[in-house]
Amino acid sequence: MEDVLDEIVSSEDLQKFERVFHEQLHQGNVSHKAQFEYAWCLVRSKYPTDIRKGILLLKELFNSHPEGKRDYLFYLAIGNARIKEYNKALHYVKSFLEIEPANQQVLALERQINKRMEKEGLIGMAVAGGAVLALGGLVGLGIALASKK
Amino acid sequence: MSLTMDCVAKLKILLLGESGVGKSSIILAFTKGDYQAQFPATIGVDYNHKIMDVNGLKVKLGIWDTAGQERYRTLTTSFYREAHGAILVYDVSEPKTLAKLNEWVEELQVYTTNKNIVCLVVGNKIDKDRAVPREHGQAFAQKHRMLFIESSAKTQEGIHLAFEELTQKIIETPGLWEKDTSASNIRVTEEETRGQGGSCYETTCSIK
Repeated sequence: MEDVLDEIVSSEDLQKFERVFHEQLHQGNVSHKAQFEYAWCLVRSKYPTDIRKGILLLKELFNSHPEGKRDYLFYLAIGNARIKEYNKALHYVKSFLEIEPANQQVLALERQINKRMEKEGLIGMAVAGGAVLALGGLVGLGIALASKK
Repeated sequence: MSLTMDCVAKLKILLLGESGVGKSSIILAFTKGDYQAQFPATIGVDYNHKIMDVNGLKVKLGIWDTAGQERYRTLTTSFYREAHGAILVYDVSEPKTLAKLNEWVEELQVYTTNKNIVCLVVGNKIDKDRAVPREHGQAFAQKHRMLFIESSAKTQEGIHLAFEELTQKIIETPGLWEKDTSASNIRVTEEETRGQGGSCYETTCSIK
């Protein structure tokens, strides 16, 4: 494993924390701890459906349990990056850095996300997309100017 | 050939201990020679790596930094699997962090899969006012048959030595790392040369 985005949860861990979560769910009282532990496993799963489920659980925690905010933001970023929702992932990274601008762990994660975007050609596409927009703007401006005459 | 391919072994090293004893600072001091006065609590598990030279052997250390916070306690134990070495850190200015190391040792014994894992006890923050005598840390390490060192991530004292001693000891424990996934041809060559009376270290030099 070279970075945290490649790390995959073991199936026994996932099952273990899933069981605890579901037991509490049946009793109608899920603790923050159990929900976080289960979500933590889900976002590290190799299956996108698991990751999406983990993201939902983390969002719920983020809104209901302010004390754990930094942990939830961090894993929301990881989960989104793993399903290639890079812009969302970077959004969570930015929110985190607003609270702790010098956090090495999060800055490293930001670099990894950018690296992946670059590798997958997404930054190039964004730049090209921007150029098209700018060109469109210029043409629009030209037309506007021309029509003023 | 990549940098990793040149390495004869990839070793997994864990850092364990209470929150705030300086685990992440030790890693930052070791990997980047850097220091941060205010280090935020590690979230979950963090990963770093560094290539190290031990007796002319190139070894890649994968260093796993675990959150010391209680909330991660049940989660991080799954990372203990297949570790070759563990650094158990306490803070020499906080006696309870040494007492608490007992729990970390117990947990490590339960969850580690390498029964001959090499452990090193590190008394960190010797730049601060000391509340734990060196002998106490030493006695703890001796009781558990672990290596011992005191360090300061702030002044860098003892940091490199800690990783060197640990890695050296792991390398000297063949059963521990030979079964690692590093290229199989290395292992074959090693066995051949050993038959001729060469040591492990000489063997690896001949591969290069």
